[in-house]
Amino acid sequence: MKKYLRGPYTSRLLHAFGIDPVRYWLLIDLFGALSERRELFSQLGRDGMTLQKASWGYYIMSGLLSIVLVIAGMQLNTYATFFLGFSVFLLTAVLLSETSSSLVNPVEALVLSHQPINGATYTAAKLTHLLRMLLHLVPGLSLIPALAGLFLKGCPWYFPPLFVAAEFALGLLVALSSCAVFGWLIRLLPPARLKAVGMTAEALPWLGWMIFQFRRDVFAHIRVPAWTRDAVFGLVVLGVILAVFGLRSLSSDYLVRVAAIAHGRSRAGRRGRSWFGGLVAAMGGGPAARGGYEYVSRMMRRDWQFRRQLLAFAPMTVMMLGGAVRSVKLSPFARGFTAMHMFPHAFGVAFFVICSTIFYGNDHRGAWLFLLAPAGAFRGVARGVYSAFFMLIAAPHAILLPFLFWYWGLADALLFSAYSVAVAATYLAFELRLIEGMPFSRQPEATQNFMVLPLMMAGGFVMAIAVGLQYFLIFHSRAAVLASSAVLCAAAYYLTPLSLESLETSIRFHLGILSAETKAIYHEVGA
Amino acid sequence: MPPIVSFDRVVFSYDYVEVLHEISFSLRAGEVVGLLGPNGAGKSTSIKIIAGILAPGRGAVSVAGLPLPERAVDVKQRIGYVPEAAALFESLTGQEFLELSGRLHGVEEDTLQMRIREILEAFALSSERSSRLDTYSKGMRQKVLIAAALLHNPELILLDEPLSGLDVNAAIMIKDLIASLAAAGKTILYSSHVLDVVEKVCDRVLIIHKGSLIADGSLDSLRATTHRESLEDVFRTLTHSASVEPGVARIVAALR
Repeated sequence: MKKYLRGPYTSRLLHAFGIDPVRYWLLIDLFGALSERRELFSQLGRDGMTLQKASWGYYIMSGLLSIVLVIAGMQLNTYATFFLGFSVFLLTAVLLSETSSSLVNPVEALVLSHQPINGATYTAAKLTHLLRMLLHLVPGLSLIPALAGLFLKGCPWYFPPLFVAAEFALGLLVALSSCAVFGWLIRLLPPARLKAVGMTAEALPWLGWMIFQFRRDVFAHIRVPAWTRDAVFGLVVLGVILAVFGLRSLSSDYLVRVAAIAHGRSRAGRRGRSWFGGLVAAMGGGPAARGGYEYVSRMMRRDWQFRRQLLAFAPMTVMMLGGAVRSVKLSPFARGFTAMHMFPHAFGVAFFVICSTIFYGNDHRGAWLFLLAPAGAFRGVARGVYSAFFMLIAAPHAILLPFLFWYWGLADALLFSAYSVAVAATYLAFELRLIEGMPFSRQPEATQNFMVLPLMMAGGFVMAIAVGLQYFLIFHSRAAVLASSAVLCAAAYYLTPLSLESLETSIRFHLGILSAETKAIYHEVGA
Repeated sequence: MPPIVSFDRVVFSYDYVEVLHEISFSLRAGEVVGLLGPNGAGKSTSIKIIAGILAPGRGAVSVAGLPLPERAVDVKQRIGYVPEAAALFESLTGQEFLELSGRLHGVEEDTLQMRIREILEAFALSSERSSRLDTYSKGMRQKVLIAAALLHNPELILLDEPLSGLDVNAAIMIKDLIASLAAAGKTILYSSHVLDVVEKVCDRVLIIHKGSLIADGSLDSLRATTHRESLEDVFRTLTHSASVEPGVARIVAALR
């Protein structure tokens, strides 16, 4: 098979696209070897095991959805459109992220940048794994819906193969479009801005999904102007031209820009020592706590991988905050449900995401520094990490309090804020245990990208239960809220030291592993 | 004879900060040229531009008559480059890394294997050829990088701190190797902070300071211009380096 695949016909085809077949296959073998030897962790398409897991996840998700829709007796056209749209959305989110991982943090390209490889050959080799992803993910998204569709009224026998073929065609279109988007970005943007804009591009599918969820009424009233129907051919041609030029710009000068992308960091700014860092040190943590606080709070702002993980959740956070702000005039103690009831639990979701991703970092190679720290320092560092997180609770509450006071009166504003801080602190006390080791000290893994949707769904589900229980059991009386605040404060007070002890142990344990680990290639090359 | 490297009024910026200001020089075939300058002066950036890794912002660069960055792939075929900060594929073995480098340069397989065998033996790395690069010491990695730069018998060799991490014997060997390669007609651009090595192996010296070329000439002409004997004194005079004693005193005082 390999012999035929690398034979003269493929070589001629590759040549036709400006790809040097000898170097292309050398690079394919190289990337395969690096993934097999666990040197390239961060790309889902190169990690067969993770890809298989993702594929099974999609089988389960699409299977459940198709059972529900078939039982509901949906019309065949609507059914097919729904699944095609769902696949396009998921594939866009995953493939944009994968393309970004491959092209925007080009560490392996730095090793190869002085080799005689043309841009077309390099980018083709670098993005071939997108096709592998399609081969795994598209069946997961389409096979069960295609077969389940046969149970719908009026479904022809040829629906399953036609549907699967359409899914593959759309998948291919999405993959090429993702490459074209980054081709344009790499061509047009200054290298220093590429990572930030790339992150925004990655978040667009999620933003679109959230807008669609929250403003379905607007979408229901959208009428496509008549002229677009007449000009549909022209629009398709324009889209194809844009995609072709995007792909061409990607292939033509990528390797010349690699070093500039790698070197083009955004500036760290002139931020000096923070007063809160001084407070953390003075509150009993000492210099180590201050070090932990400053390190984590700065890395949270600067680490590219961490920021892009959070960005996937940003639309949800923005929508929730937007909902809270819109309903800030309505007291949660008045009758009826308001978005403010969700506010304390949003911290639970946020800390869940932060704590389960913060130990990955692009600068993980710098973690050797912590191997030199005296053993006693990690207690202080753990406190510093906690302080950095607690600032994320304290700051929004401090900003919101004057508004709450203005609209609800002092008593309700203070009571709600106390309750909200207590809930958030309790979530934090539990979720600190999710941090596996020193923050930003481990190489990013491919599982992170495809875990975004399940995490969002699971987080939303847990939050819905918590908000519902809180609404029916607590917010019917101020006394109940006061009592709950006291109980939650006590819980946070007793749980937090235990969690910090666990974090300290985890940091020591994982640094021990780190010292024995082999080095991996991935590290930060821009912010 | 046309120069093998032409670097004409080159300007380069990182993130809107100009790091090379209209630098011009050229290298002729068979020359060994030392590239000197304080940290952050722009030496590695200049070398990367010649290697086709960075595109100049303004000005014209060509190697063997091939303009950069337009003909970067052809230029890369003709150069050997030892980078300053050695990034390697850590999970590959020394043999695999060298094979990859040689094959990417299109070296015929029998020749490639023969060259790898000979170079690894000369560098006393034969017994480690099947070990992963992440088990290599800094000096061993540097030897692999030098070997990779030479495998395809390039016309132009760009060496950015090549002696970093090498033991005394290996360093002596590299110095002799540079002289032999120059005698064989290779052009070598050698960037280093080890001035006595530059003094011994280079015919000509370029000094870059704060992104500008402040000196270009033979060692004798630079000595004559600055009225200094050693290259170290020439360098300190041209770069207006302050005495190091006050800096040392400040550090020691801060530690008290």
